[in-house]
Amino acid sequence: MRFIRFTVIPIIAGLLAMPRTAGAHHGWVDFDEKTDVTVQGTATAFYFLNPHCVVEFEVKDDGGRTQKWQGEFASKGELSHKGWTAASIEAGEKLTLTGHPSKDGSRAIHVTKIRTSKGELKLGVDPESR
Amino acid sequence: MNAGFATLSCALFAVLLSAQSTSTDEREPGIPVTDPLVIAKCGSCHASDATQNMQRVSWSRTTPEGWQDVLKEQILLDRVSVTPAEARSIVKYLSESHGLAPEEAKPVMYDAERRVHEETLIPSESLRENCSKCHAFARALSWRRSAEDWKQFVATHADRYKVRSTADAVAYLSKSAPLHTSAWDAWVSRKTAENLAGRWLVSAYMPGRGAFCGEMQIDRAGDDYTTRIAITSVRDGSRVVRIGRAAVFGGSAWRGRSKGDASNSAPDDPSSEAREVVLIAANQSTAEGRWFWGQYQEFGFDVKLQRASSDPALLAIDRPLLKTGSSANRIRLIGDRFPAQMTPSDLDFGTGVTVKRIVSNTAAEIVAELDVAPSATLGKRDVRFRRSILTGALAIYDHVDYIQVEPDSSMAAFGDRSHPRGFQQFEAIAYQRGADGKLHTNDDVALGPVDVVWSHEVFHAGAHGSTDAVGTMSSSGLFTPANANPGANFDVWVIATAQDEKDQKGEPMVGKAYMVVTVPTYTFNGRQYVRELDRWVDDGPARK
Repeated sequence: MRFIRFTVIPIIAGLLAMPRTAGAHHGWVDFDEKTDVTVQGTATAFYFLNPHCVVEFEVKDDGGRTQKWQGEFASKGELSHKGWTAASIEAGEKLTLTGHPSKDGSRAIHVTKIRTSKGELKLGVDPESR
Repeated sequence: MNAGFATLSCALFAVLLSAQSTSTDEREPGIPVTDPLVIAKCGSCHASDATQNMQRVSWSRTTPEGWQDVLKEQILLDRVSVTPAEARSIVKYLSESHGLAPEEAKPVMYDAERRVHEETLIPSESLRENCSKCHAFARALSWRRSAEDWKQFVATHADRYKVRSTADAVAYLSKSAPLHTSAWDAWVSRKTAENLAGRWLVSAYMPGRGAFCGEMQIDRAGDDYTTRIAITSVRDGSRVVRIGRAAVFGGSAWRGRSKGDASNSAPDDPSSEAREVVLIAANQSTAEGRWFWGQYQEFGFDVKLQRASSDPALLAIDRPLLKTGSSANRIRLIGDRFPAQMTPSDLDFGTGVTVKRIVSNTAAEIVAELDVAPSATLGKRDVRFRRSILTGALAIYDHVDYIQVEPDSSMAAFGDRSHPRGFQQFEAIAYQRGADGKLHTNDDVALGPVDVVWSHEVFHAGAHGSTDAVGTMSSSGLFTPANANPGANFDVWVIATAQDEKDQKGEPMVGKAYMVVTVPTYTFNGRQYVRELDRWVDDGPARK
């Protein structure tokens, strides 16, 4: 499994020219990088944003109840280099996501692999390119 | 302010050596420096040759902000001492003789205007890492230098800031931002002494408060200008009168300050004292820029100016979107010198939109009634009154496809006893699919702001603290961070829930933006002496 690693300040300062301020935000420390999970669901919204792209999706649990999940990716800038756009994931698409679960038990996942109805979307950052 | 500094405490010997070594390698013609004050203040380290080319300085050009930054650096690092009047004179001279042509300044104006701007055209990962890790890439592209000076600048920068790879930076900047350009040559030969005095029409937009229209009277005050701005909110009719002062650098760079007459304590009060950064067009008849304020310059008006004439001029309309198949839509057009006599045929909203009648009209306002055909072409269109055109002012739509919160990525900052908070204003913009029929593609049409209910939510709330603890959202979309700085960062969803628009399931449409609420920026560009330099340059010696 290839992990996405990056520092947060370059993402903020580099991908958005924010001359007004600079700072940081949460890193991947909130996710358990030693554990991988795979979740299947249906996309409800995709946000192509900095500092993280986010997909919201619904998962049916064993009892048939709908659970709301959030999958977090690298930044818009990073994913743009991989060919992603705001239309890469459309509401209603079936998704299979693999990644690291949230440490706090919330329904959130740091996505390291994603397959949609259209096929697998490229993820990951080559450490040598940074 | 301590104005009695010694003329020049001079002079880091190493800097002198460094400067001397540069000029010997210069192969491009320099731009002479002839101003006695610049020579007096800079010449002991930057020697001039027989053709009045001054080391380093003659091989570089930049914006007023660029020269201000240089002066700050010289004050802090090289102990140059200047009075406020001298600082202003130096920046003014260099911005005039070693500035940017309007065509060169325009692409990087967002930096001087202190806008949050997503820079998508950084040519390589190396340049992204080396330049925009610390500042906007526009900061580099605000300069024009000879190839040799770029080489020296990058080397110095790399040494000071521990940048690793620099070869491609030198190659890119030498090619993309050379000292000598056709735009600069043309500007130097064609520019005339600017005279902006007179009455100007103002179209302004303040996120969260909408459009404002009015006028700006500009009068000469020596080499500078005084201003009186009177603008009225299109949304609620509230009026703001601002009094200001400005200078024009290099014939096109308007830099000034103005303040309203009825300021209250609200951080987003449109009467707040604002810095004005405006680019005057070469024809001296139009201008565009931003008036801004706030600890992080987070509030402001986007401003367009046009010189008033005897002809009627359209400035704004009060409804940016109309639905296909709708009838008897009342729309208000705000402008200047509308004639007393007019007919529906004087107005043109494009094919499929019919002006049924003029309901009322004055010299500053027309109220018209419009029908929109069911088959009217979707998308933005121009609005005309005789020869005056508002480009893309009206959107025709059949239904809203989605709502986008803008800015979609942003920051706000906690405050503490010595650091004011950084606020963030949001707007919810309705979008319609474009000609490709797909959502979230480049041809989607922004229809305009819609009414929403605002809320916010910390990511993984619970584990990362309470949503309420990070701050509050107002009903108008203004986020106010908590005044207690927790010393941590929070990722926050800003959520707009539409009051009228529904999704395919019949649920209210929802738009979201990603905001990071973070600690204050603790340093503000050195000691007070240097921080005040902006104000000296804006205000001039006549104000205290």
